[in-house]
Amino acid sequence: MEQRPECTGGSGGQEMRKKKDLWSFTVVPLYVFTIVFVVGPLLYMIALSFATNREGYGVDWIFTLENYKRILDPVYLDTFLQSLKLAFTSTLSIMLLGYPFGYFMAKLSSRWKSRVMMFLMLPFWINSLIRLYGWIVILQTKGVLNGSLMRLGIIDEPLKMLYSYPSVLLGMIYTLLPFMILSVYSSAEKLDWSLVEAARDLGADAVQAFCSVTLKMTLPGLLSGMILTFIPSMGLFFIADILGGNKIVLVGSLIQDQMTRGSDWPFAAALAVVLTLLTTLIIYLYRRITHTSELEGLY
Amino acid sequence: MRMRDLKKWVAGSLTAALLSVCFLSGCGSDGAGKSDTDSAGGESPKEMVLFTWNEMFPQEVLDSFEDETGIKVIYSNFDTDETMLEKLAQAEGGDYDLVIADDYIIESVVDEGLAQKLDQSKIENFENINPLYQGQFYDENDEYTVPYGAGIPLIVYDPEAVDFEIESYKDLWDERLEDSLALTANYRVINGITLLSMGKSMNEQDVSVIEEAGERLKALAPNVRMIQDDNTQNALLNGEASVAFLYTSQVNKVLAEDPDLKIVYPEEGLGFGIMAGFVPSNAPNSEAAHQFLDYILQPEVGARCFDFIGYYSTNQAADEFLENKDLAVPDSVTEGEIIQNVSEEADAAYNKNWTEFRAACD
Repeated sequence: MEQRPECTGGSGGQEMRKKKDLWSFTVVPLYVFTIVFVVGPLLYMIALSFATNREGYGVDWIFTLENYKRILDPVYLDTFLQSLKLAFTSTLSIMLLGYPFGYFMAKLSSRWKSRVMMFLMLPFWINSLIRLYGWIVILQTKGVLNGSLMRLGIIDEPLKMLYSYPSVLLGMIYTLLPFMILSVYSSAEKLDWSLVEAARDLGADAVQAFCSVTLKMTLPGLLSGMILTFIPSMGLFFIADILGGNKIVLVGSLIQDQMTRGSDWPFAAALAVVLTLLTTLIIYLYRRITHTSELEGLY
Repeated sequence: MRMRDLKKWVAGSLTAALLSVCFLSGCGSDGAGKSDTDSAGGESPKEMVLFTWNEMFPQEVLDSFEDETGIKVIYSNFDTDETMLEKLAQAEGGDYDLVIADDYIIESVVDEGLAQKLDQSKIENFENINPLYQGQFYDENDEYTVPYGAGIPLIVYDPEAVDFEIESYKDLWDERLEDSLALTANYRVINGITLLSMGKSMNEQDVSVIEEAGERLKALAPNVRMIQDDNTQNALLNGEASVAFLYTSQVNKVLAEDPDLKIVYPEEGLGFGIMAGFVPSNAPNSEAAHQFLDYILQPEVGARCFDFIGYYSTNQAADEFLENKDLAVPDSVTEGEIIQNVSEEADAAYNKNWTEFRAACD
């Protein structure tokens, strides 16, 4: 870019101008989009979080820190803890399930690869809410799973599985697992297997070779998979509402509650700002600890 | 290089900001121009935008209204009263011609100046309205609203799964009901029945009393199986819960499926809700809205509507045409208390109770 001739005229200059036109033509829409749909709402949310809620309905633009002070109430702090706990447990379970899946998927023949990919993608054709309601049919007391278990004689009394923490966790894993599998897969597929062979030739056993070569080479995929599952799991409250019977209060559902039933937008905005900061902080710490700058597919 | 990039970025973002401002303001003036021509255009457009919850009218009523008047009803949905108020406020009382919502939110709507006074001369059937539902706190002089159905949330239980007789809200706290109670999810209603069980008003404003109710509500947590606003009655049918606190429409639905279930009119008193229609202040076609209100106030049409939505009939003349006779008002309904807006501090306390309660249920 630095070698660009400054308005020298002639054919070279015209080409440059054309390039410049093209540059603004392609980049300006991106700027507009970012400002209108990302920066704007974000600034509005931050401003709103310092405003005063009007009695009944609406917002008074009077500066206050009351909304942030309210978050310090143990009741509301606890919802952050609940959200973090659920996000960590689900990300960890997804990692344990998704990494081997993605890894072995990359080792399949190309024919089977595309078949497995097809099966992974198939559920996305159905609305995720409908799929979650499907889980209700399976898990409910008079549901498919209890029915089968009883018919097989494994249990005598139906189990109360729905509206519990495990069923929420199951829903989270079910919804987010494909993101982990796909990013691990795309990392593992690019892996140069001859490096593993070289490690074995040089005397490493299978475990050593996996740890020193395969794991390191697929780490970007694993890490981006973790970020892709962690961030949504901080905000996916409808799973807790549907499969948890509204009994686990996550920040997301609290924000929604304040936006609608509680009709306290400034408080909801303050909660959202804190949630955003928290997520950013965790990702920052995470990257500092793992020393990663490149994430598969994210950068 | 860096400096240059920065300049570029600044220039780029400024352009973008400018463009977006032009774009947005362009949109605004465009919209305003359009509504101007609409209202000035003399002949009323043959469309009426109805804004209410899902499934509030039988399709045949909407169709026959269109057949009779040539006005097409555009049905627009909201989930909660609060969403409706937000949308209506953003549209500055425009966009929608007729809104049907709950009593307490209509008070806010009227306070915000988002509703217009009805022209009763255009509603011949106005006198069919049951006076029981008139002169309420949200519209004391009956200037803005036409009631459309009333509801009383009630306790319903499966006598086979519960081995004692439930007679009051207080009984919901009984430890024999552990992990078997399904609740609707309105924070004011649930706080309200807790207050009723303590012999207080559902609209308690004293924060210390509300906090006391919060403690009492937390004690209910071990009995709660699930909290949900939509199709709560299914919990009774699919065996998830043996007792449920349900809205009127849900009570009717569940009794239609399983007539052996028992209804309880709690002895502490009833919560009471009225849904009513109003015309927003800047409704594009208020003429059609008045016609529609008059249409649904006809006795036979009204009866068909109440049978469909399963709420108590607010139309005296319609009572005799009801298929489900239970929807005609029993005398006890006069004693119901309506949930009203409370002060900011009281509301914050109710909200806190609710969050604490839900967290305790886990």
